[in-house]
Amino acid sequence: MKLEQLLAETRSALVQINEQDLSKITQAKDWQSKYRVLMQLGKKLPPVPEKMKQPELLVKGCESRAWLLHYHNKTDDKHYFVLDSEARIVKGLMAIMLCLVNGMSSAELAKFDLNHKFDQLNLKPYLSQSRGSGLTAMAEKIKACC
Amino acid sequence: MPVFDVQQFRQQFSFFQHNPGWVYLDNAATMHKPDAVVSAISQFYQQHNSNVHRGAHQLSQQATRLFEQARTTVCRYINAKSSEEVIFTSGATAALNQIAFGLMHTVLGAGDRVLLTQLEHHANIVPWQLHCQRYGVIIDVVPLTADNQLDMTAYQQLLERKPKVVSFSHISNVLGHIQPIDAMLALAKKAGAITVVDGAQGVVYKQPDMQQLDCDFYVFSGHKLYGPTGIGILYGKKDWLEKLTPIFAGGEMIEQVSFVNTTFNKLPFKLEAGTPNIAGALGLAAAIDWLQLYNTEQLIQHKLLLLKEFYNGLSVIKGIDILSLPVHNAGIVALNVSNEHPADVAELLNQQNIAVRSGQHCAMPLFSYLARPGAVRCSFAAYNSLDDVNRCLLALEQAVEILTA
Ligand SMILES: Cc1ncc(COP(=O)(O)O)c(C=O)c1O
Repeated sequence: MKLEQLLAETRSALVQINEQDLSKITQAKDWQSKYRVLMQLGKKLPPVPEKMKQPELLVKGCESRAWLLHYHNKTDDKHYFVLDSEARIVKGLMAIMLCLVNGMSSAELAKFDLNHKFDQLNLKPYLSQSRGSGLTAMAEKIKACC
Repeated sequence: MPVFDVQQFRQQFSFFQHNPGWVYLDNAATMHKPDAVVSAISQFYQQHNSNVHRGAHQLSQQATRLFEQARTTVCRYINAKSSEEVIFTSGATAALNQIAFGLMHTVLGAGDRVLLTQLEHHANIVPWQLHCQRYGVIIDVVPLTADNQLDMTAYQQLLERKPKVVSFSHISNVLGHIQPIDAMLALAKKAGAITVVDGAQGVVYKQPDMQQLDCDFYVFSGHKLYGPTGIGILYGKKDWLEKLTPIFAGGEMIEQVSFVNTTFNKLPFKLEAGTPNIAGALGLAAAIDWLQLYNTEQLIQHKLLLLKEFYNGLSVIKGIDILSLPVHNAGIVALNVSNEHPADVAELLNQQNIAVRSGQHCAMPLFSYLARPGAVRCSFAAYNSLDDVNRCLLALEQAVEILTA
């Protein structure tokens, strides 16, 4: 699979997550339903082929391995991402992160407050929880792209 | 002998009163501390705080006496020949680093071999690696059999290469398997090797007897023996401790210092540079005193009961891949839900207030051998109850249900 195709498929999956699934998560009536939705999110993203998972794409500090591909379209200054992870819950949470920032300009990305946004979605505990989950590292890696 | 009353035992841990909703099965990472340990530590700071081995004043002498009494308590507990053989360190990791560093150059040189096993904790791999690379020492590794036990035939063959040091764990921190250490030590000694036992998980299982084991070194951490963090023990036979080059240098460990030369103090002080963790040592001694109020055999039986119940429960949950054997197991079960990442399983348990660890448990070489990304580890202590076991099983069932939905 080519990078363009991965970017395009990820982009439409992230739009769908943003428009349909985020509200399901905030409105989930118990933790079980919330986790069921979370774990479905990752499945919507196209898997990154093994040979594209280069070591420099690894998000360091994850107990489960996660990879972040980044593409900056210089003509319109927009940032696009592709994500994969071995663990489903982490992948779901990372997908939420990406659906919030995918397609942002450098300036938008620079001032985006992921903490605040996660707080609004009642997902803050996952960010601050343990560094081992890799979510903090993912947030830093996204920020470092702009 | 009255029967073991787990509720009475558990009541001595304030932690559980403060965290009533939690099932704590991460004991192989660190254990909770009975109130007796917590009060010993605060009592030291509130009533006896002074530096040791230094001041001329009575307060310092009193603190020194308490500190040295703590050493005697440890010495008696592990049945070392004398207190000089008991070195306070910050933990098992520090002790293993001291041994690996201390033997290099003087005892170990280019072409010499060190024998480790496939399932060692990184603390019993990396210190060797670090120094072996520098001094040209070769590391050999004992492989495992198909059921994840140490391959004793391969072990004997590797001993024929005449390793100068054999270093292995008493109990695997991932699998919980109790290694056949008597046989392993006997074989290693016959081959003329210096023997090192990583007792980080072993010491809490059963009181280790240094004179009976007859190993050259045995190390452990206080916090995995109901004691505080930041304190541990390096036991070594006196002759071997004498030969170790100190990894830390500084105050108290010297006899004479000039800018031309320094001569070291006698044991144990030679290997205890700087102000020691006095409160930690007292806390560890308090843990040992407290633990000795109980009958070891009863504690073991209680843990075996928990283990049996856990294995029985696991056998009826679909898709559980168990890495640990139920026999010769000290109370640790590593498992996976088939085709699921252990981080997901552990997070779903966490949501249900079940504290377990997931990942590779500082034993990456073991997991590359097992060809798995990691495992969920449930580790039991004597303060865990059958209720804990059942809650964990129910939570696992729930996790499997969510994962496979
Ligand atoms: C077998 C084993 N060795 C060494 C260690 C290191 O102990 P510490 O981190 O207390 O120094 C551990 C702790 O996880 C262990 O389980």
